[in-house]
Amino acid sequence: MDKKKAVDDTEPGPAPSRPVDRFGFIKPEQGTSPDGISKSKSIHERERERDGRRIKKWRKMIGVGGSDWKHYVRRNPHVVKRRIRKGIPDCLRGLVWQLISGSRDLLLMNPGVYETLVIYETSASELEIIRDISRTFPSHIFFQQRHGPGQRSLYNVLKAYSVYDRDVGYVQGMGFLAGLLLLYMSEEDAFWLLVALLKGAVHAPMEGLYQAGLPLVQQYLYQFEKLVLEQMPQLGQHFIEEMINPSMYASQWFITVFSYSFPFHLTVRVWDVFLYEGIKVVFQVGLALLRFCHDELVKLPFEKLLHAFRNFPEEATDPDVLLPIAFTFKVSSRLEELEKEYQKKLEGSNASTSTKRSHPLKLKTMSRIGSRALSNFTNSEK
Amino acid sequence: MAGTRRAEEEYDYLFKVVLIGDSGVGKSNLLSRFTRNEFCLESKSTIGVEFATRTLHVEGKIIKAQIWDTAGQERYRAITSAYYRGALGAVLVYDVSKPTTFDNISRWLKELRDHADANIRIMLVGNKTDLKHLRAVATDDAHKFAEAEGLSYIETSALEATNVEEAFQLILGDIYRAISKKPVASDEGGAGAAGGVKEGKTINVAAGDANSEKKQCCST
Repeated sequence: MDKKKAVDDTEPGPAPSRPVDRFGFIKPEQGTSPDGISKSKSIHERERERDGRRIKKWRKMIGVGGSDWKHYVRRNPHVVKRRIRKGIPDCLRGLVWQLISGSRDLLLMNPGVYETLVIYETSASELEIIRDISRTFPSHIFFQQRHGPGQRSLYNVLKAYSVYDRDVGYVQGMGFLAGLLLLYMSEEDAFWLLVALLKGAVHAPMEGLYQAGLPLVQQYLYQFEKLVLEQMPQLGQHFIEEMINPSMYASQWFITVFSYSFPFHLTVRVWDVFLYEGIKVVFQVGLALLRFCHDELVKLPFEKLLHAFRNFPEEATDPDVLLPIAFTFKVSSRLEELEKEYQKKLEGSNASTSTKRSHPLKLKTMSRIGSRALSNFTNSEK
Repeated sequence: MAGTRRAEEEYDYLFKVVLIGDSGVGKSNLLSRFTRNEFCLESKSTIGVEFATRTLHVEGKIIKAQIWDTAGQERYRAITSAYYRGALGAVLVYDVSKPTTFDNISRWLKELRDHADANIRIMLVGNKTDLKHLRAVATDDAHKFAEAEGLSYIETSALEATNVEEAFQLILGDIYRAISKKPVASDEGGAGAAGGVKEGKTINVAAGDANSEKKQCCST
């Protein structure tokens, strides 16, 4: 509390310069032990040194403005995968994310679309979006200032998306995706990356996370529960006995791809892999968290389990500890099988309503969607 | 993680309660004020569900409240409505400075009628009374509405810690009186879902159930 006093005693001036971490998040008021502080400092330095060496390699790999990237990936996909798993240097993250997600291509194919969506279209979700703006990364300096540039761009991206895909509109949770992206790229880039993810430019589309009924959330939770049982039978059994189901703890993992409540240095490392390898890493990281705390968790009763899910120990959220554990889980083919199993189960219990199974859209279709949004606009204006 | 475990696990009744209402009305802060005496000005919107407990004395009994805080946005009902089942009480919150959040109360009531146990006790809460100059829903109107619908009613300010304690006392007392009046066996919801669970576990809901059960909701 000592540190806090020094800050609190000053007048609340116009620009309170509260100390922030290297990602721009306002530091919690002396919440962690002195241990925690020195530890994170050493992590910090270690990462910076490593980054120096990495940045060089990465710059070579990418080329000027990403010009060599596609060529490099085609020739050395495994090198790329390995390097991404080790973490993309923070200063190149924004660019690389756009390259690996396919959003750069979307942007180039749809010039002017974003601007039109932002400026001319109106969205039914505007009020809902506004209500959540100040509740998205409220502890990050970029988003703190009321109506400041951070909040404005967050609003614009979300509004643009809600117009672009009126089926999805705006759903709570999307703000954390958009907010995370905005810390690394411009509004327009962030918008197209959101489109690339939800419409499936490279991987399976994820719009089902936010569509009515949250069908993809339900599917992921089903798959995750099965995986826990298979990978950690004792823990899975314990969850069943304690009547814990994954919607109690994992829905926000999936809905926000770990951007809601995990330490930011873990979030960005997960996103590095997520954008390149797809959603399976969210399952892997979820399993790794449970595996790391396994021996503790199997002993806990219902309420203490719920508490533990929201308070993973600091060591568990160190990406250099957690990700290697995550990658030991081989889940790709099992996830596919479980998806089929889930779809079958759905069809069985619900023969009449068709649950649309979406396939990755080709980039061409993407641009058509862009122009459709545009023509909608022009028609309604006439 | 152990600590004072023994002491906190002694209770006469365990009541499951859900916190519902439109997004942004202050559900999460009501919960944190009640369970931890905290209020967070910079709180994030709730994604999915959150959980907290508190044990307190109500009408001479020790009652443990297990409270599920839910995301308020309509689309999240796909997940959150599963949590109504087995709940003995619902705290239905609106924001006294936002009329639409009060207008939506009837939709929330319908939601409860569709998914919750028939004899669930419901309390209507008008939150944010600290925003005096912005008040847009009159106490009288809300009071009349609550009476007509058979709900208990109270106004609170989680920010100023006004009536929060009283509100939860009210709903928990209400539940206690309801279950001690009628025999537990009378409910077809079964498995003690509608009765207070004495010294035992609450009834929780499996994600699988949520999928396989009610499918009449979606329209495309």
